[in-house]
Amino acid sequence: MNTIAGTLTADAGEIDLADRNVVKKPVSYRARWMSRVFQDPKMGTAGDLSVAENLVLAQSHTHTASLRRYKKADRWNRYQELLKTLNMGLEDRLETQVKYLSGGQRQALSLLMATLSKPKLLLLDEHTAALDPKTSHDVMEITQKIVTREGLTTMMITHKMSDALKYGNRLIMVQDGQIKLDVSGEEKQNLKSEDLVNLFQD
Amino acid sequence: MLISSLGQGLLWVPLVIGVFITFRILDIPDLTTEGSFPFGAAITISLMLHGQSTFVATIAGFIAGCLAGIITGILDTKLRIPSLLAGILTMTGLYSVNMHIMGKSNIPLLDQKVLTSYLPGNLDPDIQTIIAGLIIVSIVVALLYSLFKTRLGLSLMATGNNKAMSSANGIKTDRMIIFGYMISNGLIALSGSLIAQSNGYADIGMGIGTIVIGLASVLVGEIFLRGRSIIVRLLAMVFGAIIYRLLLTVAMGLGFPPDDLKILSAVILVIVICVPIIQNRIKTKRQLKQYLSQLAEGENYEQRDEIRNISSQKLTKGILSGNRE
Repeated sequence: MNTIAGTLTADAGEIDLADRNVVKKPVSYRARWMSRVFQDPKMGTAGDLSVAENLVLAQSHTHTASLRRYKKADRWNRYQELLKTLNMGLEDRLETQVKYLSGGQRQALSLLMATLSKPKLLLLDEHTAALDPKTSHDVMEITQKIVTREGLTTMMITHKMSDALKYGNRLIMVQDGQIKLDVSGEEKQNLKSEDLVNLFQD
Repeated sequence: MLISSLGQGLLWVPLVIGVFITFRILDIPDLTTEGSFPFGAAITISLMLHGQSTFVATIAGFIAGCLAGIITGILDTKLRIPSLLAGILTMTGLYSVNMHIMGKSNIPLLDQKVLTSYLPGNLDPDIQTIIAGLIIVSIVVALLYSLFKTRLGLSLMATGNNKAMSSANGIKTDRMIIFGYMISNGLIALSGSLIAQSNGYADIGMGIGTIVIGLASVLVGEIFLRGRSIIVRLLAMVFGAIIYRLLLTVAMGLGFPPDDLKILSAVILVIVICVPIIQNRIKTKRQLKQYLSQLAEGENYEQRDEIRNISSQKLTKGILSGNRE
């Protein structure tokens, strides 16, 4: 996942993103077509900036050095509408610094931010691993809702078998750098958690 | 005395805002300051001695500082030299550059017109300095205020706060950091240029201790004026610079010789770093006591221990970690 995002240089091979070879391009270039939600809720948001300012940063991954003023009333209203859909009480906290939010709120915000620019590829890097079971479930539900609503191509890493089985339409299992299993569609639907555990033990 | 330190304080404001940009916005302690400050002074004074007008010379001083900042920025981001060392390298290199520009270690102005000469001549020189200082400070604060309201300013703040997140959102963080260094050192050199004009000379040693002055003023300003909005933070820097000058003036009035000013600056910096930490500690203790006395009525010892643990964790956060998580 780090190689796809660009934080790790590929030793060999090619990466094509939106019909462009990006294997030698930096993170900020790939960000035009790609968004990422990190495992650590603190990584995906700027803690000293407000909720609204974070959303501004996420909304457009180009023109980041523009000299236009970023604060606009209609934009703020739109953010409020979007935050309402998260059901996390964030809609009244547009001006709150993100560092005062809870881990779950921060991760839900990261998720909204990552999808705001309508990326061609959304990377979810164990994005619920640092949350408690209840919040983790809520964030997964929000993820499912946004991804289906926006029709986003999404790649999620998870260590939770139940999530791997429940969500998505293709499952790839990797062990020691090798692909152990690659199933999609109906075959994936019929897969059971015991099957996966057995495969890991082989 | 008071009036003159007010004027002097205003001339130091660009330096303090420059240090604020690297130290608070980008979260980098930038030692280039000690080189770019006399760099601005050297460029301005020698250009004026070569017959350039004070306006051209002052702006040239600002641009020279910007270039020094770009060099540190490139050393830091493109060559991956740790930021502290990058600053030291530029600062050391600038010493030779400044010597070449000036030709000797101290160059005085002769009868050239300085910025204050364009103000009505019947005014007291201290008042002239204050007026000139106020005009420049207003321009600097207004320009920076509008910068931080743009997407560019937001990207700059985001880069200093969370680099990984910024680049994941398409911000070219290296360029942002170089840009921050550039603006910062430009302002610091502008301060050098103004101080040199006010003193009537440029000196090779005038940069020594400027980073301590800058940091101390930033912290003093933040103690006196707290706030999150960018305009409050910029105004805090203005106050910080002036209050710091007043403190030094008071110390001089107490009979400290000028040679001792450097150690005094260092001591002031130590104090202003410690004051907020102690303030915080007292505040937490008081709140804890209040909370415990409320709890004592319910005799809930378990909860009391729990609260004590939580509060002792919070105490470790000091002022220098202000920008970090």
